[in-house]
Amino acid sequence: MTIAADPVLAADGRRERRFFLSLSLPALCIVGLAAILPLLWIIRQSFLTTAGEYTVGNYDKVLSSGLTWSALAATLELSLGTLVVCILLGTPLALALASARPRVANVLMAFVMLPLWTSILVRTYGWLVLLRRDGLINAALTALGLTAEPLPLVYNFTGTLIGMVHYMLPLFLLPVYAAMRDIDTNLIRAAASMGATLGQVIRTVILPLSAGGIFSGSIIVFIYTIGFFITPAVLGGGKVNPLAIRIERTLSTFQDWGSASVLGILLLVLMALIAVMFLTARRLMAYNKMGAAHA
Amino acid sequence: MSWLPRISLVVIAVSAALPAYAQTVTITTAGGDYGKAMKEAMWEPAAKELGYDVHEETQSDGLAALKMQVTSGAVTTDIIHLGSPEGAQAAAQSLLEPLDYKIIDPKSVPAGAKSDYCYPFDSYGTVMSWNTKTLGENPPKTWAEFWDVAKFPNRRALRANAQDLIEIALLSDGVAPADVYTVLSTPEGLQRAIKRLEAIKPDVSVWWTSGAQSAQLLKDGEADLVVTWNGRAQTVKADGGAVDYTFKGSVIGTDCLGVPKGAQNKDAAMKLIAAMTQPARVAKLTDFIAYGPVNPAAYEGDLIPKDRLKTLATAPENAGTSVFSNADWWVKNGEAAQKAFDEMISR
Repeated sequence: MTIAADPVLAADGRRERRFFLSLSLPALCIVGLAAILPLLWIIRQSFLTTAGEYTVGNYDKVLSSGLTWSALAATLELSLGTLVVCILLGTPLALALASARPRVANVLMAFVMLPLWTSILVRTYGWLVLLRRDGLINAALTALGLTAEPLPLVYNFTGTLIGMVHYMLPLFLLPVYAAMRDIDTNLIRAAASMGATLGQVIRTVILPLSAGGIFSGSIIVFIYTIGFFITPAVLGGGKVNPLAIRIERTLSTFQDWGSASVLGILLLVLMALIAVMFLTARRLMAYNKMGAAHA
Repeated sequence: MSWLPRISLVVIAVSAALPAYAQTVTITTAGGDYGKAMKEAMWEPAAKELGYDVHEETQSDGLAALKMQVTSGAVTTDIIHLGSPEGAQAAAQSLLEPLDYKIIDPKSVPAGAKSDYCYPFDSYGTVMSWNTKTLGENPPKTWAEFWDVAKFPNRRALRANAQDLIEIALLSDGVAPADVYTVLSTPEGLQRAIKRLEAIKPDVSVWWTSGAQSAQLLKDGEADLVVTWNGRAQTVKADGGAVDYTFKGSVIGTDCLGVPKGAQNKDAAMKLIAAMTQPARVAKLTDFIAYGPVNPAAYEGDLIPKDRLKTLATAPENAGTSVFSNADWWVKNGEAAQKAFDEMISR
């Protein structure tokens, strides 16, 4: 505030801001060329027939097809399923990491991050080896006499969900862990000194204060998983067919670029809707919290 | 940007100025082991015989390359290697010259495989394969038995694509191989096939999407009954996998050679197609790859060693109960069939 009052310093600040802004120019150009232009091209393509004439027929065809809606349902099912499992597994894990001693936390963190640095293709095929009928898990289960028959762990929804949770868990964990680590430990001590049990501390102090992180993690999980292709393609056995697989099929089997573009736009609209929904929810939550604080 | 036309002008000028020593023909193949096999068995000896100077180009997506060349008016290839359904598609889009059956022997193609635009020269079969450990000496003998889930409660794997499965579904429903496309040309035909596939759907544990995947499923015992391509089943078997397969009731697909619309050396291309698909040459192709000749004459006079015959889809002992995939039907009805198939899976 005092800086802005001095005209020389203010001009300095403006120049500095302009300089920093100009540093982002190359990145902006790349985003423009690599994201916006192809997007415009896809939008144009979605209005073209195979003969190159303008039409809205592609939209009609895609939106009136039952295949589109079953793909949409499969997409939401997968994304929601992944999100729920991530929250159930990730939140306690983040809590454990945040409350561990730094040295232990670092080692644990390395274990969490390791899969993130491995190619998704390698991991997906890794799961195939683990989950298939004569895979490690089924071999162990039958050897121990826990199951008489190998369990159908892969080439279905279960297998796809396992692969997707494995991919998304670190990405969910990071913002949650960051939020939990930033909680002032004095608040936890204060709660404890007032006689709160561990459960009460978690419920009334830790979870509300890390809600922002859980929210960010949820947005990441949802937005990522909506466009997932490799995992359902490899682990779904042809029975799990979300929008991304529908798009690929429309391109390769039907060679229908117009309809594939419409599906791509549908996916994009879906992502935007979900992002807006999450952000609005977060703003409402923050607003309520502020209201509560003022009351 | 003007260097490209300039260079091509120079190239054209120089080649025009040079005396033409030999007829040149450019052939586009799929490359890889298959392309190499075609070169050594087929076009290289044929070119030597005709005194042609043949250049080879390779493309993994022949139809896309053909479409680009013809629509842009820059046709650089004279012969192109395509799958027969793509060949029929190309013909429907007027991308190919009609074949000159005065130069090419019309009797070299069985009636069921004949095409006016893309000459079918070799073939593969979509076959029934099974795990010999779990099914032993008593695998299903026919597609009707393959569909009998009470007798064979094994896990099945089928391709996630209507191609060939539509035909197989009808065979399993008691349609004779010769009548498959007659039935399919009626409005109820496709529905009948889809219904049949829907009946077996609960026992299909995997709908595979690539040939390599189908081979892996067989090898790992993930599925006991797999519909796959003969080459894949043969490879697993040759590698010592507990796998066998039969050509009985297989659906035979072919690869073909076409001449792009506006090709510069059209007549020479027709002559080269005729020469490179002589019985001895397509028979020789099987030295390198298990794709059997379409030409019945190639199976005469021991051109192909007897023990190899059983690995080829079109060998006389195998082809009797087979259906030749009808590319024209697929060009006309492919989209409807694939859509009905996808809807069946998503139900």
